Order: sequence, then C-alpha cells, then structure tokens
Amino acid sequence: MDSRHITAIIRFLWTPLILSFIVLTIVLIVWASGDSVVARTITDGLIRTVLVIGLYIFIGNSGVLAFGHIAFMLIGGYAVAWLTMSPFKKSFALDLPAILADNQFPLFPSAIAAGLLPAIVAFIVGIPIMRLSGIAASIATFAVLAIFYTIYSNWDSWTFGASTLVGIPLYVNMWVALGWTVFAIFTAYLYQQTKYGLALRSSREDEVAARAAGINIPVQRLIAFVLSAFFMGIAGVLQAHFLGSLIVNGFWLGITFLSLAMLIVGGQRSLTGAVVGVIVVSTIVELLRQVEAGIQFGNFEFSLPGGFQELGLAVLMIVILIYRPWGIMGGHEVPWPFGHGKRILAGGFALAPPLPKDERK
Amino acid sequence: MTASAPIVITENASSDKLEVFDVSVDFEGLRAIDDVTLSINNREVFGLIGPNGAGKTTLVNVLTGFQKPTTGRVLLGGRDVTGWTPHKLGRNGLSRTFQAVRLFRDLPVVENLEIAAIGTGLGRREASKRSIEILKWMDFEHKAFDQADTLPYGEERRVGIGRALAMAPRFVLLDEPAAGLSDAECDDLMSIISKIPSNFGCGVLLIEHNMRVIMGVCERIHVIDSGKTIAQGSPSEIQNNPDVIRAYLGSKTE
Amino acid sequence: MLQLIVQIAVDAISLGSLLALTALGIGLIFGIMRLINFAHGDFIMLGAYALIVPSAADAAMMFIGVWPAPILVISVIAILIVVALASERIAFRPLRTADPSILLITSFALSFFFQNLVLMVYSGRPKGVPLWPDLVKPIYLGPIRVPELHIITVCVTLALLVLLVLFLKKTTIGVQMRAASEDFRMAQLLGVRGNRVIAAAFAISGLLAAVVSLLFVSQTGTLSFKMGVPLVLFAFVATVVGGMGSLVGAVLGGFVVGVSSIVFQAILPMEMRMNDDAWVFALVLLILLVRPGGLVSVKALQERV
Repeated sequence: MDSRHITAIIRFLWTPLILSFIVLTIVLIVWASGDSVVARTITDGLIRTVLVIGLYIFIGNSGVLAFGHIAFMLIGGYAVAWLTMSPFKKSFALDLPAILADNQFPLFPSAIAAGLLPAIVAFIVGIPIMRLSGIAASIATFAVLAIFYTIYSNWDSWTFGASTLVGIPLYVNMWVALGWTVFAIFTAYLYQQTKYGLALRSSREDEVAARAAGINIPVQRLIAFVLSAFFMGIAGVLQAHFLGSLIVNGFWLGITFLSLAMLIVGGQRSLTGAVVGVIVVSTIVELLRQVEAGIQFGNFEFSLPGGFQELGLAVLMIVILIYRPWGIMGGHEVPWPFGHGKRILAGGFALAPPLPKDERK
Repeated sequence: MTASAPIVITENASSDKLEVFDVSVDFEGLRAIDDVTLSINNREVFGLIGPNGAGKTTLVNVLTGFQKPTTGRVLLGGRDVTGWTPHKLGRNGLSRTFQAVRLFRDLPVVENLEIAAIGTGLGRREASKRSIEILKWMDFEHKAFDQADTLPYGEERRVGIGRALAMAPRFVLLDEPAAGLSDAECDDLMSIISKIPSNFGCGVLLIEHNMRVIMGVCERIHVIDSGKTIAQGSPSEIQNNPDVIRAYLGSKTE
Repeated sequence: MLQLIVQIAVDAISLGSLLALTALGIGLIFGIMRLINFAHGDFIMLGAYALIVPSAADAAMMFIGVWPAPILVISVIAILIVVALASERIAFRPLRTADPSILLITSFALSFFFQNLVLMVYSGRPKGVPLWPDLVKPIYLGPIRVPELHIITVCVTLALLVLLVLFLKKTTIGVQMRAASEDFRMAQLLGVRGNRVIAAAFAISGLLAAVVSLLFVSQTGTLSFKMGVPLVLFAFVATVVGGMGSLVGAVLGGFVVGVSSIVFQAILPMEMRMNDDAWVFALVLLILLVRPGGLVSVKALQERV
C-alpha cells in the first residue's frame, strides 16, 4: 500500500476520524483534570451523542422528520434492565417470567440484545409506516411512541408502571460511553457511504426522481430505521447503566424535543451536524446552568434567577436557526483541509483531478 | 477515452420492444389519453409530439409507472408490465428524465448518476465506474464533484440525461430535454441523443416541442392531440400530414 | 343506561369541540406557511394564566378572572392575539422560507420558552382557578342531566365555525387567506400581501386559543404550565388525521380524535382502559396507513410528476 493510497483512505474517513478525535480530546482533557462532576456531565453528553446519531441515521438520510424514536430508547433501556438486574432486586419491583426473573445476564451481550430488540420492533412497525412520507410519517412514528409510552406506563409487572425502577447495575463511565460514541460515529458514516445510504439520500432530495431511478424507497427507509433503532436502543442501555434507574416518564416529550433540537441546531443533513449539535446545545445548557448557580467577577457574585437557563436555551436556539436555517453545519461534513488532489469515490474507484480548462478536448 | 468513443453498456436483444396497447387515462371524468397504441423498437429514436396539454407527459407517466392507465396494457419486451411500480420498471430497463429535471440537488453530479446505477442493482464500485464512464462520454467529468444545484440550467438537463443512461436502460424516455436550451445547446443535445441508441444499445422515446430537434434526430414520429393519436410516420410524412399541420404545426410555425 | 349514553355522547362532543378549535388554530397556519405551531398549546396556557395575578404563591389570586364576563373574554382574546402576533413577528417571520422541520423546531423552542417563563413567574404547582363555577351546574332535558358548560362549549364551537367560514368566504382578507393556503407563491404574485395574510392567520389562531383557554379552564378548574401540551398534541394528531392543510379536515379530525378518546375510555374493559391513549394512537396509525393524506386530503400537498 503506497502513501497515496493511505492518504486516499484517510481522506475517505476524514469526517469520522475528526469527529472521533474531537470527542476523544474532550474526554482526555476531563480525565486529566480528574473532575468527577464534569466527567459525569461529559458521560451524559456522550450518551446524548449516541442518541442523536441514532436519530440522524434515519432523519438525516431520509429527510423524514421522525418523532417517535424515543420509543426505541425506552424499549432498549427496559430490556437491559430485565436482563442485567440482579434477581434479588428484580423481585422487589417486577414480576417477570422465570427465565428473566431468576437470571442475571452478562453486561455486554445484554447490551447487544437490548439494542437488537428495538431494531426488531422497528422492523415490524416500519414495514407499514415506511410507505408514508412527510408529515404523515412523522405522526405515524409519533403514534408508535405514544403507544409504547402508554403501554410501558401501565405495564406494572414488567416496568414497575409509572414509578422509578431502581437497582440497575452501574457500569457506564466516560470510557464506555466514548467507545459506543466512536462506534456510532463510524457506523453512521460508513452506512451513509454504502449504496443503501446513498439510495436513501436520493429519496430525501427528490422522491419522484428516486423512484424513477429504480430506488425502492420504503425498503431503503426501513434499513435506516432499523439501524437507527439499534443505536437509540443502545442509548437507552447506556443511560440505564449510567443512572442506575429508569422511569417511563423520562422517555416522552422532553427528551424527544431536546434530541431533535440538538440534531436540527447542528444541522440534520450531516453526521458532523449531529455531533456538533450535541456539543453546542450541551455547552449552552451547561454554561447557562453555571451562570444561574452564580459566577464570580472579582468580589462580585453574579447570578441569574432560576429558570433563566431554559429561557436562554430557547432564545439561543431560535437565534441560531434564524441565522443558520440548515443548522450550524448547514449539511456539510468536516472539510478536507489539504487541497484538491486525487478524489476517491466511495466505491474505491479513483478519478484524476480535473484538467485545467485549456487542456481539455 | 474521448467523447466520441462508443460505450455500449447493455447488449439488448435487437427484437426488444416497448409497446402500448389501447391505453386510456381518465382524470376525474376528463379523458387525458384516449385509446393510444404505439410501439418503440430497440435502437431507434422515436418522437412523440403534440400541442400543450395533448397528454404526452401523462403517456410517459403511464409507461414509467407513475400513472395507472384506466384501460389498456403496456408491454416491455413482450412482457405485460401494466401497473408495475416506477422502481420496478426502472430495474427492468425503463428510465426517464423529467421536464422539471429533478436532480438530487444536494448531491454531487457523479452521485446523481451513481444512484441511478445503484437503482439497477449495482454495488457502489461498479456504479462509480459506470457513472464516470458516462460523464466522460458526455464530456462532463470535469464537473463530477460539483453539487448538482450549482449547475447552470443547460448542464442540469445534461446531468438528467446522464442519470437516465446510468441505469443502462433498454428504453430511455426523454421528457422535453430541449426546453429552455439555446440553439448551440440544442445542437449538443441532438448529437448526444442521436448517439444514444448505438452507444447504449437502447431505444429512445423523445418528447419535444422543438421541431428542429424532433425532425433532426427521430426516425419515426407519433403525434397526439387531446389524448388521441392523429398521425404516425417518418419526419417527412409528418411534416406533410394535413391533420398534423392543422393541429400542431399550423399553430406553431409562423 | 340512556343517561350514560347521553353522558358519553356529550363528553365526546365537548372534547371533540375543544380539539376541533385547537386543530383549526394549528391547521390555519399550517395551510399558509407549512408551520406546525406547537406553541399553540402554550397560547392556550398563557390565556389561562392571564386570569390570575402573577405570583409564585400556591393559592391563585384572580386578576382578569373576576372581571365581568364580556370584558374578561375580550381581554383574554386581546392578550392572546398580541402573543400570537408577537410570536410570528419575532420567531417565525425570519424563518418563513425555511424547511418545515426548522419551523417546527422553532415552535418547540417557543413552546419551551413560554412554559419556562410561566414556571419562573407562577411556579410549577397546579393552581385551582374557579372560573364561572355556576356553569358546571347541570341542566335537565327531561330526565337527562347535561352540564351546562358542555352545551355552551358545543354552541360556542358551532358559532365560531360559522363565523370563520363567513370570514373566509366573504371578506377580502379571508379570500386571500384561502388563496395563500392553495399556493402561497402564486397568491403573492397575484398581489396578496404575505405578511398581512400570515399575521391575520396568527391573529385568528390567537382568538381560537383564547376561546379554548376559557372553555378548558372552566371545565377543569385548574392551571398548570404544561396544560397546553396534551391539547396541542391531540389537536396536532387531529389535523393530520383530518388531512393536513384542510380546515374541514382539521375540524373533522378534532372530532374523530376527541370522540374516539372518550369512547375508548368508556367501552374498553377495565384492565385495558388504562391504555386508552394507546388505542387512540393505534386508531390514528390505522387511519394514516389506509389514507396517508388524511380523511380530507388536499391537492396542493400532493406531488405532481
């Protein structure tokens, strides 16, 4: 493999490499500072990143604004609780079938299984729903969330109803969350470079032309829907193992709006936008929270009244959207900074750089 | 590879035919297409003309699966494909362009073509290869990585044709490709269209208002007016047909 | 038995009316500018909070709420029209040409803003507000007991619908609004002034929100900063079920969702009744799968090839 080839591969993977590098840098700085409170904030942010990338895989590539993805997070979170809580703790709150009630399964396989369950659910509900477009599709996915939310709220024997389910093993720290975040970044990027990702993006641009070009839109949407449900499920798993508790009410409108807002503020049409959205919105929230708690200016302590944080976030979001209607990234990925050399297509088929105008023909 | 070198992407049977039998389409009681029958042969450029609102685009929509005919049948290579979905017809060798072009605006030119190649079942590697070949054939590879919505109008149309060809079609349906083009661009377009049958081994259905383009490249021409067939024949026959002159040419030529 | 059936029917129609009015407020604006205004629910909430003195105290002190009914109604309407117009001017006008998803998220942000503003000023605890307590008294139609308030709700809804239809058919601005919702660009080319039409639509949505606000508060007697959310959620679903962009559809959808929600609650066996919202949404899903364009589908939204 010569150096030109390696350059081409680095260029192809530039976006996920840089994004991973950014999150890794943030984690390393916090780790070096040894501040455990900030580490928790960062872990939370990384889980949000997995969540928003999950959303992006479907919304960003299909252009269908789905409202119901939090259902998959809900399903994943509870599934992992069923699998990994100790039988003793389960016996307090839940009334599960013997195989789940009497066993405690290993963490990693359980996480995968808890990611696959929402993927399977997405496959089943996706078959009819993926035929819909536009706002009808948005509402249909929301209906799915509403149905699961209502059922889980009232399904006492499996979910402890509307109460908080506690006693889920705590093992997610900054490094576990980082691992999943990097995996999500690379998976989402590689998916969008496959023929399936490209086919789906064509339907985002123009459904009619995509159909004429031989693209089976419902099938392409379904692929992205299932993949995105897996990562939503994993986000649920990570959150469950991070907080150690679950409450159905935490998987409803609040998190739906917040995650969509992060995606759209960052720019829904690029993976970079998804990641940047999480970073920017989380940073704004964190800064406002600190101002609200009070900051020192020399001898003065300056603080803002409670509730200011939320108002500030809302105002800043509107301002960002007014100035950057397609989000901060406006649909762009991380740009390649080293000039225009040989471009390599995702299919590995190289194309020489364009000739200067007078040499053509 | 220079622009004039032939690239045969598909080797279709020379007996391949795209046929329409007794097709009618009703829109809320209005008859848009009235009992039209026509047949396009492999490797010919077949013209479909008619005044505005004659039903030309509706007929293309029937052929490509965007419109179900009220009655009648569509046959592709002898196989009944009436009522097939657009993407299934696309996979089976029927591709089209649109009057409104409809490029995938946010994607680069080369990906516009790649998507069509992928639509016929290719992987990304082969799709890239085919797309680059076609762009070279059209003398357009220097803009391969330009985003589609940055192109001027005439070039958009050219990419639209490239995209249709990237499906390696058995038949390609061009819906008013010359609309809004300058005379020079029309000449380029005519040379591209006339080379399509031999270089791609397919038949072409050309819908056009521009008589110079139609008469310049078509071997046979079919004329419809108010959804009905009024004439069919060679360019010279059509030019001398009194019905056509009355319905169409008469009102168009000063 | 008869009493029960009438009771269910009246409840269903009354809830349906509130949802229809809310859906109309959302549908009107969607038709013209493709904005799904989630903050509409918070307009309703703000109207309700305007009745009491701004304070974080637990017990609510009536403010506008004790004024004579006509002045009270006009005040709440005026406040919400101002709120709606200000929202349009500040948040939505700069984004008018943006993608519908961006507009939607903007309305989320606005909704979040209003809710947290109220949370800050009034505190988060629900507050009891006895607005027009006399109206809850039942009236008797022969042997059948019907709450007066429900009758008023239905009558007010019908009156507003008639007025709105007259407005859209007979006034210049109304006709312009209909033209704009058919094809905004074309209407502008024909001399319709976009800003005026959109402002008018927001003013009407503010008026509708004010009416819903008063009816809703007099039915429930409580205030909460999240009270608008379920209303706007069901109304939003109603507009989609009815057919996005169609005003008739919005009204129809409002009644379908309202009635089915009450009916599911009444007829489901006890153990399934807890999940009544799940049944409503299952019905919504079914309607959408059978008729993706909603019950009354609109031509302007279908894509031409």
